Amino acid sequence: MSATPSTVVAVGAGQAAVSAVRMLRRRGFEGRLVVLGDERHAPYQRPPLSKEYLRGEADLDDLTILQPSWCSANDVELLLGTRAERISYDTSARRVHLAGGGEIVADAVLVATGVRARRLPGIEGNRVVHLRTLDDADRLRAQLPGAGRIAIIGGGLIGSEVAASGRDLGVEVTCLEAAALPLLGQLGPAMACVYADLHRENGVDLRFGQQIESVVETSSGVVVRTRLGDVVEADLLVVAVGAVPNDELARASGLAMDPVAGGVLVDAGCRTAIEGVFAAGDIASRFDPTTGRHVRAEHLDNAGRQGMAVARALLGQAEVAEDPAWFWSDQYEHNLQFVGRPRADATVVVRGSISDREFTAFYVHEGRVHAAFAVNSGGDVTAARQLITGAVPVAETVLADEDTDLLALLDTVDTVDA
Amino acid sequence: MTPEAGTVEWVAVAPLVELQRRRKKQVEVAGRAIALFLVGDRVFALDDTCVHKGRSLSRGSLWKGKVVCPAHQWTFDPETGRADDQDDCQPVHDVLVVDGVVHVDPRPRQI
Repeated sequence: MSATPSTVVAVGAGQAAVSAVRMLRRRGFEGRLVVLGDERHAPYQRPPLSKEYLRGEADLDDLTILQPSWCSANDVELLLGTRAERISYDTSARRVHLAGGGEIVADAVLVATGVRARRLPGIEGNRVVHLRTLDDADRLRAQLPGAGRIAIIGGGLIGSEVAASGRDLGVEVTCLEAAALPLLGQLGPAMACVYADLHRENGVDLRFGQQIESVVETSSGVVVRTRLGDVVEADLLVVAVGAVPNDELARASGLAMDPVAGGVLVDAGCRTAIEGVFAAGDIASRFDPTTGRHVRAEHLDNAGRQGMAVARALLGQAEVAEDPAWFWSDQYEHNLQFVGRPRADATVVVRGSISDREFTAFYVHEGRVHAAFAVNSGGDVTAARQLITGAVPVAETVLADEDTDLLALLDTVDTVDA
Repeated sequence: MTPEAGTVEWVAVAPLVELQRRRKKQVEVAGRAIALFLVGDRVFALDDTCVHKGRSLSRGSLWKGKVVCPAHQWTFDPETGRADDQDDCQPVHDVLVVDGVVHVDPRPRQI
Protein backbone atom coordinates (compact mmCIF):
# COMPACT_ATOMS: atom_id res chain seq x y z
CA MET A 1 0.00 0.00 0.00
CA SER A 2 1.81 3.04 -1.20
CA ALA A 3 -0.56 5.90 -0.49
CA THR A 4 -2.20 6.76 2.81
CA PRO A 5 -5.40 4.70 2.99
CA SER A 6 -8.78 6.36 2.79
CA THR A 7 -10.66 3.86 4.97
CA VAL A 8 -9.26 2.00 7.97
CA VAL A 9 -11.31 -0.58 9.84
CA ALA A 10 -10.25 -1.90 13.23
CA VAL A 11 -11.72 -5.27 14.12
CA GLY A 12 -11.72 -5.22 17.91
CA ALA A 13 -12.07 -2.32 20.31
CA GLY A 14 -9.42 -2.96 22.92
CA GLN A 15 -6.17 -1.17 23.71
CA ALA A 16 -4.44 -1.91 20.39
CA ALA A 17 -7.34 -0.68 18.25
CA VAL A 18 -7.90 2.37 20.40
CA SER A 19 -4.21 3.35 20.40
CA ALA A 20 -4.11 3.04 16.63
CA VAL A 21 -7.26 5.09 16.11
CA ARG A 22 -6.27 7.83 18.54
CA MET A 23 -2.82 8.16 17.03
CA LEU A 24 -4.18 8.23 13.49
CA ARG A 25 -6.44 11.15 14.33
CA ARG A 26 -3.81 12.87 16.47
CA ARG A 27 -1.40 12.76 13.55
CA GLY A 28 -3.92 14.19 11.10
CA PHE A 29 -5.30 11.11 9.35
CA GLU A 30 -8.37 12.41 7.53
CA GLY A 31 -9.82 9.21 6.10
CA ARG A 32 -12.72 7.12 7.33
CA LEU A 33 -12.12 5.29 10.60
CA VAL A 34 -14.35 2.44 11.78
CA VAL A 35 -13.99 0.52 15.03
CA LEU A 36 -15.92 -2.75 15.41
CA GLY A 37 -16.44 -3.94 18.96
CA ASP A 38 -18.25 -7.20 19.61
CA GLU A 39 -19.09 -6.21 23.19
CA ARG A 40 -21.86 -3.72 23.84
CA HIS A 41 -19.62 -1.54 26.04
CA ALA A 42 -17.64 1.44 24.85
CA PRO A 43 -13.94 0.51 24.58
CA TYR A 44 -12.46 0.00 28.02
CA GLN A 45 -9.17 -0.93 29.62
CA ARG A 46 -8.92 -4.32 31.27
CA PRO A 47 -6.19 -3.98 33.94
CA PRO A 48 -8.55 -2.50 36.58
CA LEU A 49 -11.03 -5.37 36.13
CA SER A 50 -9.05 -7.50 38.56
CA LYS A 51 -8.06 -4.58 40.79
CA GLU A 52 -9.77 -1.22 41.42
CA TYR A 53 -12.90 -2.02 39.46
CA LEU A 54 -13.30 -5.41 41.08
CA ARG A 55 -12.99 -3.85 44.52
CA GLY A 56 -15.55 -1.18 43.69
CA GLU A 57 -12.98 1.64 43.81
CA ALA A 58 -13.35 2.54 40.14
CA ASP A 59 -16.41 2.75 37.94
CA LEU A 60 -17.13 2.37 34.26
CA ASP A 61 -16.10 5.93 33.48
CA ASP A 62 -12.64 5.26 34.85
CA LEU A 63 -12.29 2.30 32.51
CA THR A 64 -13.49 3.86 29.28
CA ILE A 65 -10.64 4.58 26.87
CA LEU A 66 -12.61 5.75 23.85
CA GLN A 67 -15.59 7.92 24.71
CA PRO A 68 -18.47 7.89 22.23
CA SER A 69 -18.37 11.72 22.47
CA TRP A 70 -14.70 11.70 21.39
CA CYS A 71 -15.64 9.44 18.50
CA SER A 72 -18.35 11.86 17.33
CA ALA A 73 -16.04 14.84 17.69
CA ASN A 74 -13.28 13.05 15.78
CA ASP A 75 -15.45 11.40 13.20
CA VAL A 76 -14.73 7.84 14.29
CA GLU A 77 -17.48 5.30 13.61
CA LEU A 78 -17.73 3.16 16.70
CA LEU A 79 -19.92 0.14 15.98
CA LEU A 80 -20.56 -1.75 19.20
CA GLY A 81 -22.17 -5.16 19.47
CA THR A 82 -20.81 -5.82 15.99
CA ARG A 83 -18.83 -8.89 15.17
CA ALA A 84 -16.75 -9.34 12.05
CA GLU A 85 -16.38 -12.85 10.69
CA ARG A 86 -13.95 -12.64 7.84
CA ILE A 87 -11.81 -10.37 5.69
CA SER A 88 -11.71 -10.96 1.96
CA TYR A 89 -9.30 -9.38 -0.48
CA ASP A 90 -8.99 -8.49 -4.08
CA THR A 91 -6.50 -6.33 -5.87
CA SER A 92 -8.10 -3.03 -4.97
CA ALA A 93 -9.78 -3.49 -1.61
CA ARG A 94 -10.31 -5.47 1.51
CA ARG A 95 -13.82 -6.28 2.66
CA VAL A 96 -14.74 -6.89 6.28
CA HIS A 97 -17.72 -9.21 6.43
CA LEU A 98 -19.98 -8.75 9.42
CA ALA A 99 -21.86 -11.43 11.30
CA GLY A 100 -25.47 -11.34 10.18
CA GLY A 101 -24.60 -9.91 6.80
CA GLY A 102 -23.20 -6.65 5.60
CA GLU A 103 -19.67 -5.67 4.72
CA ILE A 104 -17.37 -2.70 4.99
CA VAL A 105 -14.93 -1.93 2.20
CA ALA A 106 -11.56 -0.76 3.45
CA ASP A 107 -8.04 -0.05 2.25
CA ALA A 108 -6.56 -1.21 5.51
CA VAL A 109 -7.80 -3.53 8.25
CA LEU A 110 -6.39 -3.91 11.72
CA VAL A 111 -7.06 -7.29 13.32
CA ALA A 112 -7.12 -6.62 17.05
CA THR A 113 -9.44 -9.32 18.28
CA GLY A 114 -7.52 -10.06 21.47
CA VAL A 115 -7.78 -13.18 23.56
CA ARG A 116 -10.36 -14.83 25.78
CA ALA A 117 -10.07 -16.63 29.08
CA ARG A 118 -9.00 -20.24 28.76
CA ARG A 119 -11.63 -22.69 29.96
CA LEU A 120 -10.89 -25.94 31.77
CA PRO A 121 -12.98 -28.75 30.30
CA GLY A 122 -16.08 -29.45 32.37
CA ILE A 123 -15.44 -26.66 34.86
CA GLU A 124 -18.38 -24.33 34.39
CA GLY A 125 -21.32 -23.36 36.53
CA ASN A 126 -23.10 -20.63 38.43
CA ARG A 127 -20.34 -20.42 40.99
CA VAL A 128 -17.51 -20.62 38.49
CA VAL A 129 -16.14 -17.32 37.17
CA HIS A 130 -13.61 -16.50 34.47
CA LEU A 131 -12.27 -12.98 34.27
CA ARG A 132 -11.61 -11.32 30.97
CA THR A 133 -14.43 -8.99 29.99
CA LEU A 134 -16.30 -6.22 31.73
CA ASP A 135 -19.33 -8.51 31.98
CA ASP A 136 -17.14 -11.14 33.68
CA ALA A 137 -15.87 -8.48 36.08
CA ASP A 138 -19.39 -7.27 36.85
CA ARG A 139 -20.41 -10.80 37.70
CA LEU A 140 -17.41 -11.32 39.96
CA ARG A 141 -17.75 -7.87 41.51
CA ALA A 142 -21.35 -8.62 42.45
CA GLN A 143 -20.43 -11.88 44.18
CA LEU A 144 -16.98 -11.29 45.63
CA PRO A 145 -17.72 -9.02 48.62
CA GLY A 146 -20.40 -11.40 49.87
CA ALA A 147 -18.31 -14.52 49.45
CA GLY A 148 -16.81 -15.79 52.67
CA ARG A 149 -14.24 -17.86 50.86
CA ILE A 150 -13.12 -18.13 47.28
CA ALA A 151 -10.92 -20.63 45.51
CA ILE A 152 -8.76 -19.59 42.59
CA ILE A 153 -7.28 -21.97 40.06
CA GLY A 154 -4.12 -20.35 38.69
CA GLY A 155 -1.55 -18.19 40.45
CA GLY A 156 -0.57 -16.07 37.45
CA LEU A 157 -1.14 -12.33 37.25
CA ILE A 158 -4.94 -12.43 37.03
CA GLY A 159 -5.24 -15.11 39.70
CA SER A 160 -2.89 -13.19 42.01
CA GLU A 161 -4.65 -9.90 41.45
CA VAL A 162 -8.03 -11.44 42.20
CA ALA A 163 -6.50 -13.02 45.30
CA ALA A 164 -5.18 -9.64 46.43
CA SER A 165 -8.47 -7.88 45.73
CA GLY A 166 -10.33 -10.61 47.58
CA ARG A 167 -8.07 -10.26 50.63
CA ASP A 168 -8.52 -6.47 50.52
CA LEU A 169 -12.27 -7.10 50.75
CA GLY A 170 -11.81 -9.46 53.68
CA VAL A 171 -12.52 -12.63 51.72
CA GLU A 172 -10.70 -15.88 52.55
CA VAL A 173 -8.67 -16.97 49.53
CA THR A 174 -7.21 -20.33 48.55
CA CYS A 175 -5.13 -20.28 45.39
CA LEU A 176 -4.20 -23.48 43.59
CA GLU A 177 -1.21 -23.23 41.26
CA ALA A 178 -0.03 -26.04 39.00
CA ALA A 179 3.65 -25.03 38.97
CA ALA A 180 6.09 -25.26 41.86
CA LEU A 181 5.92 -21.47 42.38
CA PRO A 182 3.83 -18.65 40.97
CA LEU A 183 5.21 -16.82 37.91
CA LEU A 184 8.20 -19.13 38.05
CA GLY A 185 9.05 -18.89 34.37
CA GLN A 186 8.87 -15.11 34.46
CA LEU A 187 10.56 -14.36 37.78
CA GLY A 188 12.89 -17.30 38.33
CA PRO A 189 12.92 -19.27 41.61
CA ALA A 190 14.31 -16.63 43.98
CA MET A 191 11.89 -13.87 43.04
CA ALA A 192 8.97 -16.26 42.60
CA CYS A 193 9.54 -17.18 46.27
CA VAL A 194 9.38 -13.52 47.24
CA TYR A 195 6.24 -13.14 45.16
CA ALA A 196 4.65 -16.11 46.91
CA ASP A 197 5.59 -14.58 50.26
CA LEU A 198 3.79 -11.34 49.38
CA HIS A 199 0.59 -13.34 49.07
CA ARG A 200 1.14 -15.55 52.08
CA GLU A 201 1.84 -12.62 54.38
CA ASN A 202 -1.45 -11.16 53.20
CA GLY A 203 -3.27 -14.30 54.20
CA VAL A 204 -3.65 -16.17 50.93
CA ASP A 205 -3.60 -19.94 51.30
CA LEU A 206 -1.29 -20.58 48.36
CA ARG A 207 -0.77 -24.20 47.29
CA PHE A 208 1.63 -25.36 44.60
CA GLY A 209 1.98 -28.35 42.31
CA GLN A 210 -1.79 -28.63 42.30
CA GLN A 211 -3.69 -30.21 39.49
CA ILE A 212 -7.44 -30.26 39.53
CA GLU A 213 -9.15 -33.61 39.92
CA SER A 214 -12.75 -32.44 40.07
CA VAL A 215 -14.99 -29.47 40.69
CA VAL A 216 -18.45 -30.11 42.10
CA GLU A 217 -21.02 -27.43 42.63
CA THR A 218 -23.31 -27.95 45.60
CA SER A 219 -26.36 -26.01 46.74
CA SER A 220 -24.20 -23.84 48.96
CA GLY A 221 -20.88 -23.67 47.23
CA VAL A 222 -18.25 -25.39 45.20
CA VAL A 223 -15.87 -28.18 46.16
CA VAL A 224 -12.53 -28.48 44.41
CA ARG A 225 -10.54 -31.69 44.71
CA THR A 226 -6.93 -31.88 43.58
CA ARG A 227 -4.76 -34.80 42.51
CA LEU A 228 -2.68 -34.32 45.64
CA GLY A 229 -5.86 -35.05 47.59
CA ASP A 230 -6.60 -31.51 48.79
CA VAL A 231 -10.26 -30.65 49.19
CA VAL A 232 -11.08 -26.95 49.00
CA GLU A 233 -14.58 -25.74 49.75
CA ALA A 234 -15.50 -22.25 48.64
CA ASP A 235 -18.46 -20.03 47.87
CA LEU A 236 -17.04 -19.13 44.51
CA LEU A 237 -14.40 -20.51 42.15
CA VAL A 238 -12.33 -18.25 39.93
CA VAL A 239 -10.60 -19.99 37.03
CA ALA A 240 -7.56 -17.97 35.92
CA VAL A 241 -5.50 -20.29 33.76
CA GLY A 242 -4.42 -17.99 30.97
CA ALA A 243 -5.97 -16.98 27.71
CA VAL A 244 -6.37 -18.21 24.15
CA PRO A 245 -6.37 -16.06 21.02
CA ASN A 246 -9.65 -15.00 19.43
CA ASP A 247 -8.39 -16.23 16.09
CA GLU A 248 -11.58 -17.27 14.29
CA LEU A 249 -11.62 -14.22 12.03
CA ALA A 250 -7.92 -14.52 11.27
CA ARG A 251 -8.26 -18.19 10.36
CA ALA A 252 -11.38 -17.61 8.29
CA SER A 253 -9.46 -14.89 6.45
CA GLY A 254 -6.53 -17.13 5.64
CA LEU A 255 -3.95 -15.20 7.66
CA ALA A 256 -0.77 -17.05 8.61
CA MET A 257 -0.82 -18.14 12.25
CA ASP A 258 1.97 -18.76 14.75
CA PRO A 259 2.02 -22.54 15.19
CA VAL A 260 3.59 -22.31 18.65
CA ALA A 261 2.32 -19.25 20.49
CA GLY A 262 -0.88 -18.90 18.48
CA GLY A 263 -2.03 -15.62 17.05
CA VAL A 264 -1.44 -13.90 13.73
CA LEU A 265 2.11 -13.71 12.41
CA VAL A 266 3.17 -10.13 11.73
CA ASP A 267 6.41 -8.34 10.95
CA ALA A 268 8.02 -5.72 13.20
CA GLY A 269 5.62 -3.11 11.81
CA CYS A 270 2.62 -5.35 12.63
CA ARG A 271 1.91 -6.16 8.96
CA THR A 272 0.53 -9.56 8.04
CA ALA A 273 1.59 -11.18 4.78
CA ILE A 274 -1.50 -9.75 3.15
CA GLU A 275 -1.12 -6.20 1.98
CA GLY A 276 -3.18 -3.71 3.95
CA VAL A 277 -3.97 -6.16 6.74
CA PHE A 278 -2.34 -5.61 10.12
CA ALA A 279 -2.61 -7.32 13.49
CA ALA A 280 -1.77 -5.85 16.88
CA GLY A 281 -2.13 -6.54 20.58
CA ASP A 282 -2.73 -9.89 22.27
CA ILE A 283 -3.70 -11.55 18.97
CA ALA A 284 -0.46 -10.61 17.21
CA SER A 285 2.68 -12.70 17.18
CA ARG A 286 5.16 -10.06 16.18
CA PHE A 287 8.64 -10.47 14.73
CA ASP A 288 11.18 -9.13 17.19
CA PRO A 289 14.21 -7.88 15.25
CA THR A 290 16.50 -8.07 18.28
CA THR A 291 16.00 -11.82 18.75
CA GLY A 292 14.85 -12.82 15.29
CA ARG A 293 11.84 -14.56 16.79
CA HIS A 294 8.12 -14.00 16.90
CA VAL A 295 6.69 -13.01 20.27
CA ARG A 296 3.07 -12.86 21.35
CA ALA A 297 2.47 -10.92 24.55
CA GLU A 298 -0.70 -10.26 26.52
CA HIS A 299 0.03 -6.94 28.19
CA LEU A 300 -1.47 -3.49 27.87
CA ASP A 301 1.78 -1.71 27.09
CA ASN A 302 2.49 -4.14 24.28
CA ALA A 303 -0.98 -3.63 22.80
CA GLY A 304 -0.70 0.14 22.99
CA ARG A 305 2.73 0.20 21.34
CA GLN A 306 1.66 -2.14 18.58
CA GLY A 307 -1.46 -0.09 17.90
CA MET A 308 0.73 2.97 17.53
CA ALA A 309 3.13 1.07 15.27
CA VAL A 310 0.18 0.28 12.99
CA ALA A 311 -0.83 3.95 12.94
CA ARG A 312 2.69 4.98 11.96
CA ALA A 313 2.84 2.32 9.25
CA LEU A 314 -0.49 3.49 7.82
CA LEU A 315 0.73 7.07 7.75
CA GLY A 316 4.03 6.08 6.17
CA GLN A 317 5.96 7.30 9.21
CA ALA A 318 9.15 5.77 10.50
CA GLU A 319 9.10 2.99 13.06
CA VAL A 320 10.37 3.94 16.49
CA ALA A 321 13.12 2.23 18.43
CA GLU A 322 12.33 -1.00 20.21
CA ASP A 323 11.38 -0.79 23.85
CA PRO A 324 11.76 -3.84 26.03
CA ALA A 325 8.61 -5.63 27.10
CA TRP A 326 7.10 -4.15 30.24
CA PHE A 327 4.15 -4.87 32.48
CA TRP A 328 2.98 -3.98 35.93
CA SER A 329 0.69 -5.33 38.57
CA ASP A 330 -0.74 -3.74 41.69
CA GLN A 331 -1.30 -6.19 44.53
CA TYR A 332 -2.13 -5.20 48.11
CA GLU A 333 -0.17 -2.02 48.73
CA HIS A 334 2.57 -3.21 46.41
CA ASN A 335 3.38 -1.94 42.94
CA LEU A 336 5.17 -4.60 40.88
CA GLN A 337 6.80 -4.07 37.51
CA PHE A 338 8.72 -6.29 35.17
CA VAL A 339 10.75 -5.10 32.22
CA GLY A 340 12.76 -7.10 29.71
CA ARG A 341 12.91 -10.78 28.86
CA PRO A 342 13.50 -13.37 31.51
CA ARG A 343 16.32 -15.82 31.02
CA ALA A 344 16.95 -18.83 33.17
CA ASP A 345 20.74 -18.45 33.23
CA ALA A 346 20.73 -14.91 34.65
CA THR A 347 22.17 -13.95 38.01
CA VAL A 348 19.78 -11.99 40.21
CA VAL A 349 21.28 -8.80 41.65
CA VAL A 350 19.16 -7.06 44.27
CA ARG A 351 19.16 -3.31 44.75
CA GLY A 352 17.26 -2.22 47.84
CA SER A 353 15.67 -4.30 50.55
CA ILE A 354 13.65 -7.44 49.95
CA SER A 355 12.47 -7.51 53.57
CA ASP A 356 11.21 -3.93 53.35
CA ARG A 357 9.45 -4.86 50.10
CA GLU A 358 11.24 -2.08 48.30
CA PHE A 359 13.78 -3.34 45.82
CA THR A 360 14.64 -4.03 42.22
CA ALA A 361 15.96 -7.41 41.14
CA PHE A 362 18.17 -7.10 38.07
CA TYR A 363 18.60 -10.20 35.93
CA VAL A 364 22.20 -10.03 34.76
CA HIS A 365 24.03 -12.23 32.30
CA GLU A 366 27.59 -11.62 31.08
CA GLY A 367 27.70 -8.12 32.48
CA ARG A 368 24.48 -6.94 30.87
CA VAL A 369 21.02 -6.40 32.34
CA HIS A 370 18.40 -8.50 30.55
CA ALA A 371 15.40 -7.91 32.77
CA ALA A 372 14.36 -6.29 36.03
CA PHE A 373 11.63 -6.95 38.57
CA ALA A 374 10.80 -3.86 40.61
CA VAL A 375 8.80 -4.07 43.82
CA ASN A 376 7.71 -0.62 45.00
CA SER A 377 10.71 0.81 43.23
CA GLY A 378 9.41 1.76 39.83
CA GLY A 379 11.85 4.67 39.79
CA ASP A 380 14.49 2.11 38.78
CA VAL A 381 12.50 0.94 35.78
CA THR A 382 13.46 3.89 33.58
CA ALA A 383 17.12 3.06 34.06
CA ALA A 384 16.55 -0.67 33.70
CA ARG A 385 14.80 -0.13 30.39
CA GLN A 386 17.74 1.89 29.07
CA LEU A 387 20.34 -0.55 30.39
CA ILE A 388 18.51 -3.38 28.62
CA THR A 389 17.97 -1.54 25.35
CA GLY A 390 21.51 -0.24 25.17
CA ALA A 391 23.07 -3.52 26.39
CA VAL A 392 25.12 -1.27 28.66
CA PRO A 393 27.97 -3.06 30.47
CA VAL A 394 27.44 -2.68 34.19
CA ALA A 395 29.05 -4.19 37.28
CA GLU A 396 26.84 -6.09 39.70
CA THR A 397 28.22 -4.06 42.60
CA VAL A 398 27.16 -0.85 40.90
CA LEU A 399 23.64 -2.14 40.34
CA ALA A 400 23.37 -3.24 43.95
CA ASP A 401 24.61 0.08 45.33
CA GLU A 402 21.60 2.28 46.00
CA ASP A 403 23.81 5.34 46.09
CA THR A 404 24.69 5.07 42.41
CA ASP A 405 22.44 6.98 40.09
CA LEU A 406 21.75 4.33 37.46
CA LEU A 407 20.67 6.87 34.89
CA ALA A 408 24.08 8.49 35.22
CA LEU A 409 25.57 5.25 33.85
CA LEU A 410 23.95 5.98 30.55
CA ASP A 411 25.44 8.17 27.90
CA THR A 412 22.45 10.39 27.43
CA VAL A 413 22.73 13.52 29.48
CA ASP A 414 19.45 14.58 30.98
CA THR A 415 18.37 17.76 29.29
CA VAL A 416 15.12 19.18 28.07
CA ASP A 417 14.44 17.80 24.62
CA ALA A 418 15.78 20.14 22.02
CA MET B 1 6.32 32.08 33.31
CA THR B 2 7.15 35.14 35.34
CA PRO B 3 4.02 36.09 37.23
CA GLU B 4 3.35 39.69 38.01
CA ALA B 5 4.75 40.89 41.27
CA GLY B 6 2.26 40.89 44.07
CA THR B 7 -0.03 38.24 42.61
CA VAL B 8 1.89 35.26 43.89
CA GLU B 9 2.71 34.37 47.47
CA TRP B 10 5.97 32.57 46.90
CA VAL B 11 6.88 29.96 49.49
CA ALA B 12 10.51 29.02 50.04
CA VAL B 13 10.71 25.23 49.94
CA ALA B 14 14.32 24.10 49.62
CA PRO B 15 17.86 25.23 48.89
CA LEU B 16 18.75 24.53 45.27
CA VAL B 17 21.77 22.47 46.32
CA GLU B 18 19.46 19.86 47.79
CA LEU B 19 18.22 19.14 44.28
CA GLN B 20 21.60 18.83 42.72
CA ARG B 21 22.48 15.26 43.59
CA ARG B 22 19.27 13.36 42.95
CA ARG B 23 17.68 16.08 40.81
CA LYS B 24 14.36 15.56 42.57
CA LYS B 25 12.87 16.23 45.94
CA GLN B 26 9.51 16.08 47.62
CA VAL B 27 8.45 19.15 49.59
CA GLU B 28 5.23 20.12 51.30
CA VAL B 29 3.54 23.46 50.82
CA ALA B 30 0.36 24.32 52.70
CA GLY B 31 -0.40 20.65 53.27
CA ARG B 32 0.14 19.78 49.62
CA ALA B 33 2.96 17.48 48.52
CA ILE B 34 4.93 18.93 45.65
CA ALA B 35 7.65 17.23 43.61
CA LEU B 36 10.59 19.35 42.51
CA PHE B 37 12.70 18.30 39.56
CA LEU B 38 15.93 19.78 38.32
CA VAL B 39 16.16 19.49 34.54
CA GLY B 40 19.33 20.99 33.14
CA ASP B 41 19.53 24.17 35.22
CA ARG B 42 15.80 24.71 35.55
CA VAL B 43 13.61 23.70 38.46
CA PHE B 44 10.09 22.46 37.85
CA ALA B 45 7.35 21.81 40.40
CA LEU B 46 4.44 19.41 39.96
CA ASP B 47 1.89 18.06 42.39
CA ASP B 48 3.57 15.00 43.86
CA THR B 49 0.46 12.83 43.74
CA CYS B 50 0.16 11.37 40.25
CA VAL B 51 -3.17 12.09 38.53
CA HIS B 52 -3.25 8.51 37.32
CA LYS B 53 -3.17 6.32 40.43
CA GLY B 54 -2.00 8.61 43.19
CA ARG B 55 1.57 7.40 43.54
CA SER B 56 4.40 9.78 44.37
CA LEU B 57 6.10 11.36 41.36
CA SER B 58 9.13 12.37 43.41
CA ARG B 59 9.90 8.66 43.73
CA GLY B 60 10.01 8.42 39.96
CA SER B 61 12.74 9.44 37.60
CA LEU B 62 13.70 11.98 35.02
CA TRP B 63 14.39 10.78 31.53
CA LYS B 64 15.11 12.97 28.53
CA GLY B 65 13.57 15.93 30.25
CA LYS B 66 10.36 14.09 31.16
CA VAL B 67 9.13 13.12 34.60
CA VAL B 68 8.41 9.39 34.75
CA CYS B 69 5.90 8.18 37.35
CA PRO B 70 7.29 5.18 39.24
CA ALA B 71 3.99 3.30 39.40
CA HIS B 72 2.84 2.91 35.81
CA GLN B 73 5.54 4.73 33.85
CA TRP B 74 3.36 7.58 32.68
CA THR B 75 5.58 10.39 31.41
CA PHE B 76 4.86 14.05 32.02
CA ASP B 77 6.17 17.25 30.55
CA PRO B 78 7.47 19.03 33.67
CA GLU B 79 6.63 22.42 32.19
CA THR B 80 2.97 21.82 31.35
CA GLY B 81 2.16 18.65 33.31
CA ARG B 82 0.78 17.10 30.14
CA ALA B 83 0.99 13.29 30.09
CA ASP B 84 2.27 11.64 26.91
CA ASP B 85 -0.43 9.69 25.05
CA GLN B 86 -3.01 10.39 27.77
CA ASP B 87 -5.75 12.93 28.21
CA ASP B 88 -4.74 13.73 31.77
CA CYS B 89 -2.65 16.59 33.01
CA GLN B 90 -0.65 16.79 36.23
CA PRO B 91 -1.05 20.11 38.09
CA VAL B 92 2.11 22.20 37.89
CA HIS B 93 3.33 25.13 39.96
CA ASP B 94 5.36 28.18 39.08
CA VAL B 95 8.88 28.20 40.46
CA LEU B 96 11.23 31.04 41.29
CA VAL B 97 14.81 30.54 42.40
CA VAL B 98 16.13 33.46 44.46
CA ASP B 99 19.61 33.48 45.96
CA GLY B 100 19.91 29.72 45.67
CA VAL B 101 16.55 29.05 47.31
CA VAL B 102 13.69 27.40 45.43
CA HIS B 103 10.33 29.12 45.85
CA VAL B 104 7.05 27.65 44.72
CA ASP B 105 3.61 29.10 44.08
CA PRO B 106 1.33 26.96 46.26
CA ARG B 107 -1.54 27.35 43.80
CA PRO B 108 -1.37 25.19 40.67
CA ARG B 109 -0.94 27.14 37.47
CA GLN B 110 -4.13 27.60 35.48
CA ILE B 111 -3.69 26.10 32.05
